[in-house]
Amino acid sequence: MAASIFGVFDEVTQNKIISSKVLVVGAGGIGCELLKNLVLSGFPDIEIIDLDTIDVSNLNRQFLFRKEHVGKSKAQVAKESALHFNPDAKITAYHDSIMSSDYDLEFFKKFDLVMNALDNRVARNHVNRMCLAADKPLIESGTAGYLGQVSVIKKTVTECYECQPQAAQKTFPGCTIRNTPSEPIHCIVWAKHLFNQLFGEDDPDQDVSPDTADPELAGEAGKAALESEAKADAAGGIKRKSTQAWAMETGYNAEKLFNKFFRDDIKYLLSMEALWKKRKPPVPLDWNNLPQDVPATTHQVAICDQRLWSVQECADVFAKSLSSLKEELIKQGEGGMLVWDKDDDPAMDFVTSAANIRAHIFGIPSKTRFDVKSMAGNIIPAIATTNAIIAGLIVMEGLKVLREEFDKCKAVFLNRQPNSRKKLLVPCQLEKPNPKCYVCAPKPEVTVILNTHKITVKVLEEKIIKGGLGMVAPDVEIDDGKGTILISSEEGETEENTEKFLEQFGINNGVRLKCDDFLQNYNLTIIIYHRDKLEEDKEFQIIGDVSEIQAKYLEDKENEDKQPNGLTEKQATEAATAVEDEDEVMLVEEEEIQQITVSKKRKHDEEPEVVNGDTVKKQRLISDVAEHYDDIIS
Amino acid sequence: MAEQITITEDEAALYDRQIRLWGLDAQRRLRASRVLLIGLRGLGAEVAKNIVLAGIKSLTLLDHTVVTEEDACSQFLVPRQDVGKNRAESSLHRVQQLNPMVDVQADISNVGDKPDDYFLNFDVVCATCCTLTLLHRIDEICAAHKIKFFAGDVFGFYGYMFADLGFHEYAEDVQKTKAKENIGEGEPATKKAKIEELETHVVKKSATFTRLSNAFEFDWGTTEGAKKLKRTPNTFFIIQVLLQFMEKFSRRPEVKTLLEDRQALEELTPGVLEKIGLKSDYISPEFARSCFAELSPVCAIVGGVLGQEIIKAVSQKDRPHRNFFFFNGIDGSGLVDQIGD
Ligand SMILES: [Zn+2]
Repeated sequence: MAASIFGVFDEVTQNKIISSKVLVVGAGGIGCELLKNLVLSGFPDIEIIDLDTIDVSNLNRQFLFRKEHVGKSKAQVAKESALHFNPDAKITAYHDSIMSSDYDLEFFKKFDLVMNALDNRVARNHVNRMCLAADKPLIESGTAGYLGQVSVIKKTVTECYECQPQAAQKTFPGCTIRNTPSEPIHCIVWAKHLFNQLFGEDDPDQDVSPDTADPELAGEAGKAALESEAKADAAGGIKRKSTQAWAMETGYNAEKLFNKFFRDDIKYLLSMEALWKKRKPPVPLDWNNLPQDVPATTHQVAICDQRLWSVQECADVFAKSLSSLKEELIKQGEGGMLVWDKDDDPAMDFVTSAANIRAHIFGIPSKTRFDVKSMAGNIIPAIATTNAIIAGLIVMEGLKVLREEFDKCKAVFLNRQPNSRKKLLVPCQLEKPNPKCYVCAPKPEVTVILNTHKITVKVLEEKIIKGGLGMVAPDVEIDDGKGTILISSEEGETEENTEKFLEQFGINNGVRLKCDDFLQNYNLTIIIYHRDKLEEDKEFQIIGDVSEIQAKYLEDKENEDKQPNGLTEKQATEAATAVEDEDEVMLVEEEEIQQITVSKKRKHDEEPEVVNGDTVKKQRLISDVAEHYDDIIS
Repeated sequence: MAEQITITEDEAALYDRQIRLWGLDAQRRLRASRVLLIGLRGLGAEVAKNIVLAGIKSLTLLDHTVVTEEDACSQFLVPRQDVGKNRAESSLHRVQQLNPMVDVQADISNVGDKPDDYFLNFDVVCATCCTLTLLHRIDEICAAHKIKFFAGDVFGFYGYMFADLGFHEYAEDVQKTKAKENIGEGEPATKKAKIEELETHVVKKSATFTRLSNAFEFDWGTTEGAKKLKRTPNTFFIIQVLLQFMEKFSRRPEVKTLLEDRQALEELTPGVLEKIGLKSDYISPEFARSCFAELSPVCAIVGGVLGQEIIKAVSQKDRPHRNFFFFNGIDGSGLVDQIGD
């Protein structure tokens, strides 16, 4: 072990390593490499935690695992394999979620250094907060394909993981998915929604039927559609009950399902004539009369997944996967449901076939099962070499952290090609904390725009406070001088509130909610801004730093005066009044907020550079790296 | 040959995440490649791991030296109790475990004793822990027979890799923003913007590499050299001193002779620098305090870059780094530089 051999490290570093205790969060691609580097460097006391079990697709890079380990705990097997490298190391493995309340403030306080080797934002946010609360340095890392990055987070010294607004997951307007798909991804999203409608949890946001509220149908066209809506309801009689109940009644009959989704619904869409004035109209398909042509595959491939299927093949796979999924659902018994999983073959077959049938109908190129899996499963390609380099960089930064040389710590980016200054590894200065950060500021505040008449306490808790703001078990009271408790982390205490609308508690524009998460030791004030309507029919919007939006307001308002942006006159007036009332601007699109992050420049290393004496200052856009900073959450 | 190789469904499952990155053709070429890896210390272990996981056809581990205490710093392929045993043989079992589909062999003979035609059995030769004289010889043989040649080493906090791919043809993905007019035509303006997307084109390119000797014998004293020097990583010259040490003493600097080796390095430095046209104090002898054993994270970084360059070379996919990569764990720099032509 390097730290137990005199002469490898300087004495200070050597002693810091020998007396350290570190936590590794995640035993996947980066975690395996990191654990190896740590035990070989002589870190004597390491704890590692991972919720996951080993899958065959991990084995091309997570080198501590072998075929016979498939299905076992990653943390446990990683520990056993790494102990072969250094039997003197003490490694504690947890097959568990780091978000469990077992890993509380006391747990985090045990460590000198925490290293994240995670693949999702939810857990990253949580560990960020735990490290801030415990005042422990955190090294954050991530890879995507050939790209990677490492960064150091230290309370009050550097930016925290949540100091900058995080790019929202890419979503598509409901009407594009339901009415006017133009890209393969639109069909894939639709097919996943269809899966959930048929077998999963009923989510009104995932409706797959034609959308009569499409803004393009406004005016005359809308009237026509509304008329035909009544007609369709009468004809199909389907809309009145849930899609799932209807499908179940048919016994998941492939012909009936096919003809509803790929013939009747398409015919109905065609009746919304306004949609097809400038678009190529879709062509309905009939189960008993399918085109037999085979799509041209560029060359013969042996791997079945990489071959394009004909419509007939898609229909066959559709039927076969339906019956397998029906069996799975029946096995679950009363009230059972399926969760879509890219690694479940029938579920994957279903989405591939349904997406490609829909693509055919709309004249969109079809995709192979291999490609559909990437897109539907949000698969981030991953290779051993990138993970190895990033894990090496984590330890290099870790040594500086142990020596408490935070001024020397860097955010380091691994690029695919060297930049103009020959740098393949690009070190950047760490940013100072954002004083307006709703996580690490001394008194964190955040603004949430919503319609208090439409948002229930349940939505506030699940989608906004837990989903959007990353709390685990929040207590929420209204800052009304009476301390009215809205949400309690104790089960059952505030159950009677869940279905009520915020407005029923007197929560209106400007009301402050005090949220407290005991586990994260995190207090946050939410300032509510009521608006009747949000753009793109969003349910809510979370705004970290209101002042930046205010600065943007004037510009926006001008634009708005000129162009109602697709809003009807009435809507535009409504919006304008709402703005005046609130004395704040809420018309900034989420994308514009992202723009703020993207255009924010990151200062390049300002020290005289090693590349001999010339101190060229270069700036590097965050956008160069933002896209691979964070793995996409599926 | 690569074209005839088919990837089985099992392989497709195992290599799924990387096929999604570099494609089936690249994986097929990897599957056909025979690699010789010389030197099984820390860097060699990292390279072996990376390319065996990636799924090459065969790997020969060639090393005549024995495991020492120092290996515990970075050589994770040899069991701890194997001190005194041959490095290649001791590594064999764990390398094979990384990927049963790769044919892995150990050769305990001295690379210096190998005849020229020994190297013709391979598509790629990667030499670590070798003296400069040996590296020059192998590079010339490889160049003469169109074998892809790599060299690399790690000394404490410092490491490098070198590539001589001769005349190398490769495919590169080039991305262009393209609006999809035919489909987007009917879309309202607000939706239309979103239809613009990146389109990937595959472009065929080539690059010509220079010999190792041209880089190491480059004269920095000329006007041209002095101009280039300003932008050449110092780590290159640190590595030159270390390689000179190996040349002179027929071994690497070792922790068991720490103080005398440190002194020898300091004494060697001015001469090495002067010989290539530099001032005798161009680099500080401070480096001699941090160049012992091989740090595991440094091996991981250099071995990661080197491993990926081998994968690029055999898969003929992506622009290779020409022709050096240097990592300096003291200042944290990781630079690619073209030296010698
Ligand atoms: Zn922050």
